[in-house]
Amino acid sequence: MCTNLFRSIRQPESKMAAFGRFSQVLLRSSLTQTRRQLSAAAGHGEQSGKTWKILTFVVALPGVGVCMLNTFLKEQHHSHEQPEFVPYTHLRIRSKRFPWGDGNKSLFHNPHVNPLPDGYEGHE
Amino acid sequence: MAHQVHAYHMVDPSPWPLTGAVGALLLTSGLAIWMHFHNMTLLTLGLILLLLTMYQWWRDIVREGTFQGHHTPPVQKGLRYGMILFITSEVFFFLGFFWAFYHSSLAPTPELGGCWPPTGITPLDPFEVPLLNTAVLLASGVTVTWAHHSIMEGHRKEAIQSLTLTILLGFYFTFLQAMEYYEAPFTIADGVYGSTFFVATGFHGLHVIIGSTFLAICLLRQVLYHFTSEHHFGFEAAAWYWHFVDVVWLFLYISIYWWGS
Repeated sequence: MCTNLFRSIRQPESKMAAFGRFSQVLLRSSLTQTRRQLSAAAGHGEQSGKTWKILTFVVALPGVGVCMLNTFLKEQHHSHEQPEFVPYTHLRIRSKRFPWGDGNKSLFHNPHVNPLPDGYEGHE
Repeated sequence: MAHQVHAYHMVDPSPWPLTGAVGALLLTSGLAIWMHFHNMTLLTLGLILLLLTMYQWWRDIVREGTFQGHHTPPVQKGLRYGMILFITSEVFFFLGFFWAFYHSSLAPTPELGGCWPPTGITPLDPFEVPLLNTAVLLASGVTVTWAHHSIMEGHRKEAIQSLTLTILLGFYFTFLQAMEYYEAPFTIADGVYGSTFFVATGFHGLHVIIGSTFLAICLLRQVLYHFTSEHHFGFEAAAWYWHFVDVVWLFLYISIYWWGS
């Protein structure tokens, strides 16, 4: 796949022709072509599946685990105070009612952190 | 009995394009009616019609390809072209929303306080749940590749395991995003920041749900022995779509969550 692109730079070939050949290479549906296009750079044949299985359990899922831990720890350090309310005119816009409920609350409205245009609910 | 002397698929007459078109019309007009007159009838009707159309149309394609053998190599090539063109159109769809985001954020107006994020907006910390979401989608890209190789190598059980893992990661992303939406201190009504954030990430989330559904159908078909090690284009199309969804997230993360914070 890469050699096709290099050829388009070295020889005076139109970009469209190069793209056409690239897409042709991708679309040839014989098995070896498909495997070469879509398999990992490392490993061929029987080994490729094993490579990706190893990557899954050694890199990908532990990576998710680390990020989960990081999120959990950071969350603990948060103050869970209600953010201060300032009645800015460029926020909490209500040009048109929401089509549900009383028309004043967004779809994922959270009374603790989402003030209405007048302020937090229950504080008026 | 007459036989065709070519390798192409002359599809039998089908009602689904018509029902799909009617469904799309009812959905769009229904959405407008709901917004202005608070009546959900047309919208619901359109949604049901569209869902029924999708189920039956794609069921027919599976019948034609897997059971009746109509998907010869040239036919499959056409299907590949089709999927590539569709994903390309989706790329342009998202490009529009990124355009809107950069238009508003590169030159923030005085009404916003002349800064980005606008005054009064506390953006989400990109290194908390958004980073976790990035890891989840990247991991799902690895698992879906594992699934593909498993299918190609005829490892049925591993294919089912890896595909299930991919779908679970997709669900986990959706769950995390929904939590983020609920916990966010800003809403879609918070000026252009809220609009660009929720429309771009919202459409992305919808595509994650669509992609997860597509993969779930592939899981079902894999369990039912539809795929062979040489011929499994439905799965490849789902994997391509899933990688596209992943790439869109990476752009969202870098632009809106990270640069935009």
